[in-house]
Amino acid sequence: MSSKATFTLFLIIGLLVTLALIAAPVVYAISLSFYTMDSFVADPEWIGLANYARILSTGAFWNALGNGLVYSISTIVLQVVLGIGMALVLNQAFPGRNLVRGLSILPYLLPTVVIVLTFKWMVDGSIGILTKAIAALGLPPIHWFESPQAAMASSVMVSVWLWTPFVTTAFLAGLQTVPTSLYEAAKVDGTNAIQRFYHITLPMLKPVLTVVVLLRAVWTFNKFDVIWLLTGGGPVGSTEHLAILSYTTAFTKFDIGGGATIATLSFLFLAISVFIYFRIFPLDEEES
Amino acid sequence: MAQVKLSAVRKAYGAVIAVHGVDLVIDDGELVVFLGPSGCGKSTTLRMIAGLETITSGTLHIGDRDVTALEPKDRNIAMVFQNYALYPHKTIRENLAFGLRMHKMDRAEIEKRVGEASSVLGLNELLDRKPRQLSGGQMQRVALGRALVREPEVFLLDEPLSNLDAKLRVKMREEIARLQKQVGTSMVYVTHDQVEAMTLADRIVIMKDGHVQQVGAPLEVYDRPANLFVAGFIGSPEMNLVEGRVVQGRFEAGEFSIDLPKGMTAEENSAISLGIRPEHIEIDDTASDIAFTADIIEQLGAQTLCAGTAQGVRLRVMTTRRDDVHRGSGFSLRFPANRLHFFNTETGNRISTEH
Repeated sequence: MSSKATFTLFLIIGLLVTLALIAAPVVYAISLSFYTMDSFVADPEWIGLANYARILSTGAFWNALGNGLVYSISTIVLQVVLGIGMALVLNQAFPGRNLVRGLSILPYLLPTVVIVLTFKWMVDGSIGILTKAIAALGLPPIHWFESPQAAMASSVMVSVWLWTPFVTTAFLAGLQTVPTSLYEAAKVDGTNAIQRFYHITLPMLKPVLTVVVLLRAVWTFNKFDVIWLLTGGGPVGSTEHLAILSYTTAFTKFDIGGGATIATLSFLFLAISVFIYFRIFPLDEEES
Repeated sequence: MAQVKLSAVRKAYGAVIAVHGVDLVIDDGELVVFLGPSGCGKSTTLRMIAGLETITSGTLHIGDRDVTALEPKDRNIAMVFQNYALYPHKTIRENLAFGLRMHKMDRAEIEKRVGEASSVLGLNELLDRKPRQLSGGQMQRVALGRALVREPEVFLLDEPLSNLDAKLRVKMREEIARLQKQVGTSMVYVTHDQVEAMTLADRIVIMKDGHVQQVGAPLEVYDRPANLFVAGFIGSPEMNLVEGRVVQGRFEAGEFSIDLPKGMTAEENSAISLGIRPEHIEIDDTASDIAFTADIIEQLGAQTLCAGTAQGVRLRVMTTRRDDVHRGSGFSLRFPANRLHFFNTETGNRISTEH
């Protein structure tokens, strides 16, 4: 087979797979948002933009959008701060560094459900290690899943725990590409450690930071399993974000059109956000 | 501007000793080149002067100040790195000004110094560019400019030309020499390239395995190498070195035999080595004492380099261009007495002669 034919064959296979597994479901999901259906087997009835008008006028949608933003921003900020800090530590030479590097990635390798269950045991009202520790310190007990703020904090903490290793690894890889001579030149130029961090480390990590923040924003905003397993969106919708609202609307209230509308709006919001993000932080500096 | 004084400066990494006690005074305004093969300790010594490596023992003074334990920023030095180490995210102007900003210099003074340095180095057109938009030679000039604007007491240059092509290297070498004379600041320059060392240095410090082998002006180390290592290291093509013995006032190596210079004291039968540079051997077709047969001829343009055998000894002979020599050509050689070097084969040290 000629190289051109091979190229065309692989291109067609790729296109068909993309079409069948990505494009078709997306188009189908978006199309559902223009219909009203009370089950997946019912006959859809065309209602145009009525679902959008209805969903946008509900408080639940805006509450979920707000929760999603709080959850995503808090998680990303903490992950980035902790990730850079851990990467800086792991980039230093110390005995057993490779072992510590290996251990630090462990939470990322565990299934989400294991991390969530472990956290639930840790904060269990009678046997949880965190509960005991808080009691030993003489502090009042924290109702992890009963108070709205504590439930959101729990969701953020578990997500940070789960995903910081990924961020650390990305930053560690970035740090290893920074030539030592830049730090040495900066030392000779009269900088202290903090100035070197701001003038060398951070700018040199900017490309990694841009990609990591983008990926984590997209993944966190759409993250379903952590919150669903931890709080189910409660208490009283205080941790319910758009992914959960879309699921419960479609699959527990059987408002298929409404669920599809929320998913489409979430998709649109992310797409516009990513577009704006790339305008502000272009990946290729030449374009700036 | 200041004198730099190293007193028994030593560097050890655990059990491995990288630099064994260097004693050296670099005079105010002097350009000293540290020369030696890879791993000889020359860069480590420079980095100890910069403060980028701690000094295991010994002291370092810049001017009147003991800077042994000071941070690089407090030593009032500026350094040029082998890979330039320009800040890639900053413009050339920001790169030049960065050190001055960190020293909290007045904005107007920063602009003045950056302006002067960029004029001297021809960087005016490049000030708003980023380092990646520059050629190797331009980046090297920016690295020099960054050192220049600091107006330090000492310039430290760590193999600054090794990333440049041969032609640019010659040009930049001249530029560095011109700049150093212009500003009159002491400079320590590290290289493994003996041509750079010979052309730039006021004095050369030749190092091997962490030991200083010889300190001297370029022609001094060329004319009177202190030991076998320096003799072999300085000069291109390399000096001919022949191992032999003292036999009845003559140097003998198998069939090869030559009179020892008058006034040279060497014990009978002691192991000594004869050194003579290829360019100092004379071809004398009329004499007949040492017959030489060439088996490799290298035409270098202005000169001809012949490698061959004379009385069982391998020698290289350099003459002004000769078009009539080819493989198998035979000559008589003459070894001018004042061009001969003798070394104790065991210790490697030079044996003094009268001249």
